[in-house]
Amino acid sequence: MNDHIRRWTAAVVVLVSAVAGCARLPYTTKTVHEDSRVAVDVQHEITPAKYSHPVQLTADQVAAILRNFSLREEQRLPLRWFAEETPPKPVFREEELVWVSPYLVEALQKAGPDERAHFQLFGPGMNRADTRNVTAGWVAVREPYLYLTIDYFHTEISSRHSDPYYPNNPAMPPQPKTYLLFFEPGRFWVTDQTGARALQFHDFLKTTQVTPLNP
Amino acid sequence: MKKISRLFHAVRSSNVSAILLFNLALMIIILEWLCFSIRAVAAESGKLVEKNGEYVFVESMDPATRLLLDRAVKQGTISQDEYNRVVQESEQRAYLMQPSFRAWYDRGFNLSMNDNAFLLKIRGFLQMRFTQRFRNDAWRNPGDAKNYPELLGVFGDYRANRSTNDASTFNLRRARLIFSGHLFTPDLKYFVQLAGETAENAQNPGSVQLLDAFVHSTHLPLLNVMAGQHKVFFNRSEINNATSMQFAERSGVQDAFTASGLNRRDIGITIMNDEEVYPVNYYFGIFNGLGPGFNRFGTFESEAPAQGCPGGQTGGGPLVPPCQNTERNINANLRTTISQLMYVGRLNWNVMGRPGYGEGDMAYSETPQMAIGGNIAWNPEINTATDNAFVGIDLANLNVRRQLATFGNGRQLGWGTLDYLSYGFDGVLKYKGFSLQGEWYWKNINRHQKSAPCMGTVSQTNLTCNLFAPTLLGNATGWYVASGYFLIPRKLQAAARYSWWDPDTNAGGDLIKQVDVALSYYISGTYDHQIQIQYTNMFMGTNGFAIGRSAPLPQAAVAINSSGTVPLDAKPGNLIENAIRIQYSIFF
Repeated sequence: MNDHIRRWTAAVVVLVSAVAGCARLPYTTKTVHEDSRVAVDVQHEITPAKYSHPVQLTADQVAAILRNFSLREEQRLPLRWFAEETPPKPVFREEELVWVSPYLVEALQKAGPDERAHFQLFGPGMNRADTRNVTAGWVAVREPYLYLTIDYFHTEISSRHSDPYYPNNPAMPPQPKTYLLFFEPGRFWVTDQTGARALQFHDFLKTTQVTPLNP
Repeated sequence: MKKISRLFHAVRSSNVSAILLFNLALMIIILEWLCFSIRAVAAESGKLVEKNGEYVFVESMDPATRLLLDRAVKQGTISQDEYNRVVQESEQRAYLMQPSFRAWYDRGFNLSMNDNAFLLKIRGFLQMRFTQRFRNDAWRNPGDAKNYPELLGVFGDYRANRSTNDASTFNLRRARLIFSGHLFTPDLKYFVQLAGETAENAQNPGSVQLLDAFVHSTHLPLLNVMAGQHKVFFNRSEINNATSMQFAERSGVQDAFTASGLNRRDIGITIMNDEEVYPVNYYFGIFNGLGPGFNRFGTFESEAPAQGCPGGQTGGGPLVPPCQNTERNINANLRTTISQLMYVGRLNWNVMGRPGYGEGDMAYSETPQMAIGGNIAWNPEINTATDNAFVGIDLANLNVRRQLATFGNGRQLGWGTLDYLSYGFDGVLKYKGFSLQGEWYWKNINRHQKSAPCMGTVSQTNLTCNLFAPTLLGNATGWYVASGYFLIPRKLQAAARYSWWDPDTNAGGDLIKQVDVALSYYISGTYDHQIQIQYTNMFMGTNGFAIGRSAPLPQAAVAINSSGTVPLDAKPGNLIENAIRIQYSIFF
């Protein structure tokens, strides 16, 4: 292989890589709130989502909705055959609802039609000095449905920003897992036109008594 | 707070000495706080524990027992004092019975004390590789005798690395066991790494070797201290961990330009600031400068029984009276470099974000991550073997010579004692799955023996040198640029790299050029589990003078010790290798 071919090959790869650097994962457009317990931001979807944002909900309504969600991690086959008996766990603790709901309300008000409200809840990790226990996901509304997806559920993630590329022990955050979500009462947890699981939240809010959050 | 403000008010309004009163108040506050703390401990009836990812309050005493005791005290079966004593004893028992440690798996097996004062993390790293090489006929003759020569025998004779065209090999490229964690406090970290592996062209089967053993104090963000055997913070691609590379193997130029020139690891101490806190990071290190597990007492020059006379082969030379060429084979090992150390400095500026040292934008950065850096290292008095007209070598330490050859600096062998002044610049950019990284290196090589090395004397009796090396060793330089892109974020990355390397700036036709293209599939979406396939095209020029391998060969005056007159590069040729590496890695 002569020099010219070798150099041109490298140059073309570099150029193609640079040009192709477009978004293929949702990306943050606005940070609504961030502290040591909770972070909420607005993320832009990679494909047009046509959500009904901005949406007006109260923190009490958001908490009432989220309180009734539970989940179970979707196992890979063949473990899936044996994991169905595992009872679902509530997604949020009461104090987490107090922390996250007001900021989710704000995020849903600030989000556009192709944006979603992304949240992260932090707790102390097993090694408190280096890791955090993270529950994260996102919420979006496309009338008459509300969508919730959980990416991390009490997952150990490095708390230091420099840890993913730390030379002695690179600790890249794990890939988000797939969780099966459940909602009580189950009659409001339906399948939308696209086949996605969604909550008929208006109907649910009509039937339930929304209690004020107790900070 | 009310008490404190009342105290302050009292201090102001009183005629008593303010300082005395203030001290008294402080003592009261401290005493009160202590008493409150003691009360708080006594009143504790349980604790928060983490269970299945949730924090729940667990009573120290079994609820059924507590219910019975409560009823008993209400009914008067036991007195309140008895009740209190039993509850306290029960709590103490529960406290003593609970395990004082916890164990869990999270990217390694973790063992920690409950107060997090001690953490042990055990990790393993395995890398299995299949390599298929296709080499041109020049690998059969002349082969590579200059950059990566093989050194065999007691004297470490130079051997050319030759082979037939095709090679198919399986290789356990990396097999590591890591013990890390912290002691006493999370700010006193330790790291021990064992390796039992073999390089692709190793001369011996792998044995377990200590790669890293250091402690790392992070008490002061501005002054972190790392002491022990560790990677030298010098060259960006060498600082990076082997688990987070875009390619199956580093390119030759990256390995050649380490701080010491011998290895990427060394024994010493590095001070640095915390990258998490500061955008501009400094690293300053002092080391032995002789690679892992070694120090300068292991290096020496040969000296004849007469002080100041070079040792070596009988009949070697040239010898200047009063040195006698009959003083032979009863040499001393003269240590002249034991006061020398290697000094290394590096500056890194995270211009945007924190791109870190891991290769590729695995984190899929939402905003551009960019850093630039520069480094400099001074490693004096490396004895690459003296030029005493034997075979261009003397009894210089074989470990040092072999390390130079292993890292591609074989052309520097045989040139006596060398000082290395190495420096370089680097940069990296990451954004939305795209990465671009490059480095430029320069190594200034200062020979202590300024004149041309003597290759032969007139005769055994006339020790006047009449045969010299035709050219002198120059400096070394090189660079590379690498780019990658995640075709599927966090899952599939394509990468390409071009490397250029001039191992001797005084020689012509010695350039080494390398093109690598790699495809990496990350099974778990992290660096921990991956399959890589890499294609490499390497061109290596074999021209240029290398002592003991090129004409004129060193000629001893005594015929029996003659090295002959046919050099290893008698037949010219450029080495070309095409290689495909398929590699599976797991870091668990």
